[in-house]
Amino acid sequence: MSGLRPALRIFAAEALKQHRRLFGQPLVVFSMLVWPVLQLATTYYTLRPVATASPAAAHWPLSADPHRLLAFLATGTLAYAFFFSLVQSAWHLSFERTTGTLELLFLSPAGRLTLMLANGAGALVQNAWLLTCFTAAALLGFGTLSVAAWWMYGVVILALLVPAVAWGAFLNSLLVFSRDSAFLYTILDEPLWFVSGVRLPNFALPAAVRVIGTAFPLTASLTAIRGALLNAEPLSALAPTLTWLTALSALLLAAAALLLRVGEARSQRTGRLTLI
Amino acid sequence: MATATAWRTGRATAWRTWQTTRRAYPWTYAVGTVLPAALTIALGHLAFHAIGAGETGSGFHEGPYLAYLAVGATAYQFTVRLILWSAKALITEQRQGTLGALLIAPAGRLPYLLGFTAFAVLSSVAEFLTLAVVVAALGITIPVASPLGALAGALALITATFAMSVGLGGLMIAAGEAHISQNTLFCVLGLLCGYTFPRAYLPAPAQWLADALPTTAAMDVLHGSLTGGRTLTDLAPRLALSLLLSLGYLLAGLRGLPRAEARAVERTY
Repeated sequence: MSGLRPALRIFAAEALKQHRRLFGQPLVVFSMLVWPVLQLATTYYTLRPVATASPAAAHWPLSADPHRLLAFLATGTLAYAFFFSLVQSAWHLSFERTTGTLELLFLSPAGRLTLMLANGAGALVQNAWLLTCFTAAALLGFGTLSVAAWWMYGVVILALLVPAVAWGAFLNSLLVFSRDSAFLYTILDEPLWFVSGVRLPNFALPAAVRVIGTAFPLTASLTAIRGALLNAEPLSALAPTLTWLTALSALLLAAAALLLRVGEARSQRTGRLTLI
Repeated sequence: MATATAWRTGRATAWRTWQTTRRAYPWTYAVGTVLPAALTIALGHLAFHAIGAGETGSGFHEGPYLAYLAVGATAYQFTVRLILWSAKALITEQRQGTLGALLIAPAGRLPYLLGFTAFAVLSSVAEFLTLAVVVAALGITIPVASPLGALAGALALITATFAMSVGLGGLMIAAGEAHISQNTLFCVLGLLCGYTFPRAYLPAPAQWLADALPTTAAMDVLHGSLTGGRTLTDLAPRLALSLLLSLGYLLAGLRGLPRAEARAVERTY
């Protein structure tokens, strides 16, 4: 396989770039730790009057225990931060247009899809490790974890990482050719948590919202993570969700590859890559 | 004479900002305001019906939950919008390269910033009419216990937000940074000031911290006079406290502003 070595080198180079760009930046500490934790507390307290209502425990057993409710919302915050950090990184990738390096990327012989994957994965690792450590410590500290087998932690990590990286590659491919990336940023910030059940269990969402939610990998990712971590569901119970997640990730990667091909051909014809 | 100049400065700033926004960003701001508040209210609506089955826990004594949440989410978004306009006014000038021109112009800084706030209040009214449609569509009615109290609460909230924005705007140009400071402040305000949930839920030290912010007392007045069923006389002490704190923040901000401006200019050149 002659294509693997160059691909790995591109991966390493992009990862190093993202490390130099992001590691230790105050923005990363704030946007990936301080803000999510403060928002988590606000959401928890806002839902508390409803969660403490007497019929709540019958509809949603989890809400009876404040620690389990907090764990439910914390897993939501963590997964949302994973996916949102990729929206942010895609937005940053579109800055390459302004700095004039975008054209150079496309002049280089580097594989386009590898580049987009590496960019997203690099940003994800640099962004998400802080909140991941914090959430893991908090969940272990509260003692709310209930997991079927030790290797289910591996399944959880995969269920979070693989779709997130595919989502990142898709967004990167979309934004690299778009000149108005700020608008997509607005659209994907707030509505993303709403349709994906980040702050509410799926059964509370109306059917139409749930249908829209299935198109976002975050929804299925959250179902898998919460099932595995909070309800001790075995692999067999999560199999349909994980299958859908795999299919969705493959679909996103295929869409990314297609977008890159069409976008590059188009910009070669129109010369739009240099336009700001 | 001085008042006439101040009035003209404020009016000119508001008019200029309206023109810029209308031409350059017709939808971005409106969507960014209406959407978060509407989604928070929708979240509460779904949780209230699907999980709470139309009931709230015994620890919640603030009146109807959804009306409380609608008022809180709207007021929070209003605060965010006002801070974004008023506190970021100076750093926007700095980024566009017009701060120097503003500093040597014979216009006072206070009327200039008031002009921004006046624009923000007026433009927000249109956005909140859209929110009112969302609230009505969800079947939420907001009880008004004391119209006079609600008006006083809204004015106190505007005053409090403006007072905090003056100092924050100075910090922003001194540090040359807006994104982190503004979003951190938004998260802190949303958690501490009793917008979408009663402050009594918070741990005691967080409540002391909340008491040091003028927006907290202003929200007490607003919530109390709408869903809380209180009269203006009941709420007068909180109203006075909010105005007093606002005055303190405003004076501190105005005192610090010239030093922040000097620092910003020295760093640039």
